[in-house]
Amino acid sequence: MTAQEPLLAARESASGAIYDLGYQGYDGPRLGRRAAVATLFWASLRAAFGLGRSGRAKIVPWGVTALLLIPAGVTVAIASLSPQAPAAFDYDNFLWNLSTLVAIFVAAQAPELVSSDQRHRVLSLYFSHALERSDYALAKLGALAAAIFLMTFAPMLLLFLGRVLLAADVVEAFGDELGQLPQVIGAPLIYAVPLAAFSLAIAAFTPRRAYATGAIIAVFLVGAAIGGILGDATSGALADLSQLANPFVPLDGTRDWLVGASIVDSPVGRMDYPMWVFAAEALAVTVIATIATLWRYRGLQA
Amino acid sequence: MPLIEARALTKRYGSHVTALDGLTLDVEPGIIGLVGANGAGKSTFLKILLGLLAPTSGNAGVLGLDVTREGPQIRQYVGYLPEHDCLPPDLSATEFVTHMGRMAGLPAAAARERTAEVLRHVGLYEERYRPIGGYSTGMKQRVKLAQALVHDPKLLLLDEPTNGLDPAGRDEMLALVKRTGTEFGIATVVASHLLGEIERVCTFLLAIDNGKLLRAAPIASFTERTGTLGVEVEDGADALAGQLVARGLDARVEARTVLVDVQDERPYDMVRDAVADLGLALVRMEQRRHRLEDLFRQDGEGAA
Repeated sequence: MTAQEPLLAARESASGAIYDLGYQGYDGPRLGRRAAVATLFWASLRAAFGLGRSGRAKIVPWGVTALLLIPAGVTVAIASLSPQAPAAFDYDNFLWNLSTLVAIFVAAQAPELVSSDQRHRVLSLYFSHALERSDYALAKLGALAAAIFLMTFAPMLLLFLGRVLLAADVVEAFGDELGQLPQVIGAPLIYAVPLAAFSLAIAAFTPRRAYATGAIIAVFLVGAAIGGILGDATSGALADLSQLANPFVPLDGTRDWLVGASIVDSPVGRMDYPMWVFAAEALAVTVIATIATLWRYRGLQA
Repeated sequence: MPLIEARALTKRYGSHVTALDGLTLDVEPGIIGLVGANGAGKSTFLKILLGLLAPTSGNAGVLGLDVTREGPQIRQYVGYLPEHDCLPPDLSATEFVTHMGRMAGLPAAAARERTAEVLRHVGLYEERYRPIGGYSTGMKQRVKLAQALVHDPKLLLLDEPTNGLDPAGRDEMLALVKRTGTEFGIATVVASHLLGEIERVCTFLLAIDNGKLLRAAPIASFTERTGTLGVEVEDGADALAGQLVARGLDARVEARTVLVDVQDERPYDMVRDAVADLGLALVRMEQRRHRLEDLFRQDGEGAA
């Protein structure tokens, strides 16, 4: 676009005014594919929390985040007022016990990130920019995983900070709690990635947001129902196997295996499986869902 | 290096739909009209140039880059206005165009500056801060053009840019397209099924029909004067034609117009006399030019 420069200068000096410079070209850097992916990631992460959107778009993400922070805050407050009282929530059982809230967030925000682009055919524009279709899918997946992580990490961090800062001896408490850090960071991470992959895979298959949300909720409900009903009605191998239908069971099992101990509320400890089975299921779901998402975007007409 | 080149470019959908059939062409910069009936393969061609669709066989290049292997590099320098709606209703024009500028690789500050500039150029002012969902069709088309221009592309691909616009909106959009092509100096391909629009803004014409290249030539060569005089009368075109034939002219009736072959000055007087003799009301007389429609009509007749 160097040819435009003298043209522009001539016009400026001829008019002697700078009110209308005419059209100016752009000679600056073009940051290419990597920057495009980064832009999409950050924009999607912001969208996951309704930032820069209407108030209505903020209700679910911030509502759920608040509902997760409240029990964490209350737990910290009780612990600081009466240290002897047994805590309802700890790092290990926090996400499991509040998994319904996590499910609501996932079911609402996965479609938020991808449905509109399909429905309003913005995908045509994304795909005609400096990125590949797989880049789009992976940027959205990364953004959703990051959003789920941030939302679940926030209450864990609140627990951690509360216990340290409200303790009688901050330094000693910090030393005590430091050993829990893998769980504080690891548990949200273990939840975030598979949940993002599987919910995005469902959401990517329909341009209708409501259908996507319904389908994701259905998977959570049906999975939990299969686990609950067959777990109660049968015993032994079938009862154990049915638990794996609950999407949160492999997540808690993986958490249990990698960063923390078994908890009473989860069926993981009662099941007769080696712990790696849960991690294998979580990994398999993540991989298959990611492949399905990539496949979907590869074939989608733009 | 041609702006666009295609070699035996073929695209089939399934086994029996052929959208492009061995298209071979070279295009130099300018405002290029890509014209053809609906389904002639215009959109398919543009999408292949963008790397959105893979050709079944053959190959194509844009700005010297190969469309199948170097899609992302090409798309950094190409702006695309799709035929269909493609705007998110919940964002404002400013937010969306800035976002698309960054998607095209502009740094954040540059994307904001260029967004303000291109929105001004396409004529969106106060409304640019409102969500796009509330825009009229004309405003939406402007946003679509703005997002295609925000990264100062070297090539602009416009697929039916006047789609859904009223006559005034069409005029404004065509004026904008002409400005981007001439004043902004951006090579532009305008796909349209409306020959009249292509005639008004383009310097070069690519006519495709059934996925094949029908003609590629400067617009001027299509619109030269012809040796035909068009005589429009209120009633009695047939009678007039009969009179003229009787006086030894080659005259025929088309719609309500009598077309007369003109080799010298004489037919003008004969037409005047014939109209006067018959007592007809003469509406207009005009020297016919080649029209782009003829291109397709002649071809159709030739094929039949």
